[in-house]
Amino acid sequence: MNLNLLLQLALSGFLLGGVYSLIALGLSLIFGVMKVINFAHGEMMVWGMYVAYTILVWTGIDPFFSFLVSAVILFILGYLLQRTVVNRILDFPEAMQVLPLVGMAMVFENSARIIWGPDYISPQSRFALSSLSVGPLTIDTPRLMAFSLSVIITILVLIFLKKTDMGKSIRAAADNRLGAFLVGTNVNRVYAVCFGIGTACVGTAGGLLVPLMPLSPYIGAPFTLISFIIVILGGMGSLAGAMVGGFIIGVAESIGPELITNIFHGVGLDLDFPHTMKQVVSFFILIVIMLLRPQGLFGGKRG
Amino acid sequence: MKKKMNRRAFLKYSAAVGATTAISGFPAVLRAQPPEIKIASLQPVTGVISDIGISMRRGNQMAVDDINAKGGIKSMGGAKLKLLLADTEAKEEVARSEAERVIKEGAACLVGPFLSGNAMTIATLCEQRGVPFVMDVAAADDITRKGFKNTFRVFPFTTKFAESMIFYMTQIMKEKNISKIKGVVTNTGDLFGRVQGATFVKTLKEKNFPIEVLAHIEYPLGIQDLSAEVSKIKAVKPDVLFPVARPGDAKLMLRELYKQRVELQGIISPGSPGWYEPEFIRDMKALADYVMDNVPWVNPIGKMYKDVNARFSKLFPGKYIDTNSGYAYLGVLVVADALERAKSTKADDIIGALKKTYLSQDLMVGLAVTFNERGDNINADTAMIQIQEGQIKVVMPSKAAEAKYIHPMPKQLWDRGM
Repeated sequence: MNLNLLLQLALSGFLLGGVYSLIALGLSLIFGVMKVINFAHGEMMVWGMYVAYTILVWTGIDPFFSFLVSAVILFILGYLLQRTVVNRILDFPEAMQVLPLVGMAMVFENSARIIWGPDYISPQSRFALSSLSVGPLTIDTPRLMAFSLSVIITILVLIFLKKTDMGKSIRAAADNRLGAFLVGTNVNRVYAVCFGIGTACVGTAGGLLVPLMPLSPYIGAPFTLISFIIVILGGMGSLAGAMVGGFIIGVAESIGPELITNIFHGVGLDLDFPHTMKQVVSFFILIVIMLLRPQGLFGGKRG
Repeated sequence: MKKKMNRRAFLKYSAAVGATTAISGFPAVLRAQPPEIKIASLQPVTGVISDIGISMRRGNQMAVDDINAKGGIKSMGGAKLKLLLADTEAKEEVARSEAERVIKEGAACLVGPFLSGNAMTIATLCEQRGVPFVMDVAAADDITRKGFKNTFRVFPFTTKFAESMIFYMTQIMKEKNISKIKGVVTNTGDLFGRVQGATFVKTLKEKNFPIEVLAHIEYPLGIQDLSAEVSKIKAVKPDVLFPVARPGDAKLMLRELYKQRVELQGIISPGSPGWYEPEFIRDMKALADYVMDNVPWVNPIGKMYKDVNARFSKLFPGKYIDTNSGYAYLGVLVVADALERAKSTKADDIIGALKKTYLSQDLMVGLAVTFNERGDNINADTAMIQIQEGQIKVVMPSKAAEAKYIHPMPKQLWDRGM
């Protein structure tokens, strides 16, 4: 067994897991408050990426700064989306809430194609190619920066929800919509702001990922899926769950195939676990956790 | 007051217009026009591989426009071709339903679809419906080995790729005095990637060729993080990487190789996209240099190539005719040639004509298009190309070479001043 390789894989996965956490945080926040699953989540992340990319091309400002602009633009987009589409479907049965948001996902995806074209783009940003060597391990600098910023932003969002008036209103509206309404909270506005924060989180994550992965209009859907897995795994609506879930999935997908291959070889099986089946690892973990804790790792009791 | 045209008024006006035109004989040109022949282009225009899909649809469309501009199908009174556009979304089930749709709309022949998996479902459907299908690009061997009678392939098949790859590798190893290469093969997990990777590995083994495959890594199509796979490549310390990729993951892979400081003598693809598109060279800059790819490339000295490429780059700034758009163009030429000889749009006549195809061309490397009993173009061939200072050069075979290949890479990725 190659220990260095496993360590390297764990490290890369852990760092990417930080970004996954931020993506899932947005989804979890929206679900926790409005009980709506944002199926356009990954596609909105791609918009965040394109915003940061456009700023990079026009002004040369690095995505590690311009992610703030991505966040603001995605906040506005999310706010408007909530006001125009999501607010109308809040009381619909779940199955009917799915369609408008899946539809929005297609709108985001294909409008990105119209605006930015279909090609895979890997812009040259300052840190895109830098890495650090620590002993036998290589630390990817953009990954480390994306990780650090994601963690900081996640913590800021949590503080915002705990300490500010708006945050308290959001939590109140999440807890009891009618109750919040009766004590004078402008629930519609709170919901729209909350949706905006959720999409701003994913927009930020998108900006941070620009130096890490090539962008194209169609890369969003897998991120919607992965953040959905993370949110279910951590507990629907639990923000801490989204954070921990992100790390679990990040590490598991990175280290899973190699670890399982090693186990296969250890028991004398001449079989390699294909990297194509990475997601099997995530789903396997999801199923196991669902069996042991149906409400998710950090999910509260039902009802 | 709002003015609305009601039904009566509409009828009155249209009758008047109709009568006038009939009397004056104004649309005589229109009336004399020969019938249209519908053919369909099925490409993955949206979805994970939409960049290539769009470039191929452009190739199909340009060929149709060129044929029409030259007077259409002359044996059928100058009938114009009409290209029905279909989008497979890179999904098998959509490929099938789109094929079904264009057949219902009256397509006499189908062209497409870049992805081998999509090609398989379309070929199966065409066999059931009795409609001819010309694959412009799609390489997996299996498609033409199912005994389909209506399917023809202009592109080389995977075994052909593996054989020419070994031919070129033999030359490199002989000239550079290399007795043995330790390699890693990677491929995407779709039908083409899987078959292309596996066929290369299998052919090496069968021929006992002195390339030892230390690891064979497969990853999903549309992957966004290759750090784990590249860590694994680094761990086994290969001399040469043999990647079968797609545009997104090719870029991801180069950057990851750079960041993880993987030392290599060369990156030589057994044949795949990802390594020659304009965006690859634009974004990767010096990192793209010395990458070699065994592809069915354009014929750099061909007259037809020069003409088509000049107009293509003018129409779509920043783009050029490459493997995929080139074969997309050629695929439509093959159909038009068959229609010309068939003098009919009946499926049997077109298939009969396709079987007798002998289409001289100097657009792509390789000789005239002609099909064997399985429907494979026996003259389709590959060239070894290499990126040298941001330019794509044909480096092998020697008779078509524009430059001498460079191997091993004189500088590692991180020594190139980026």
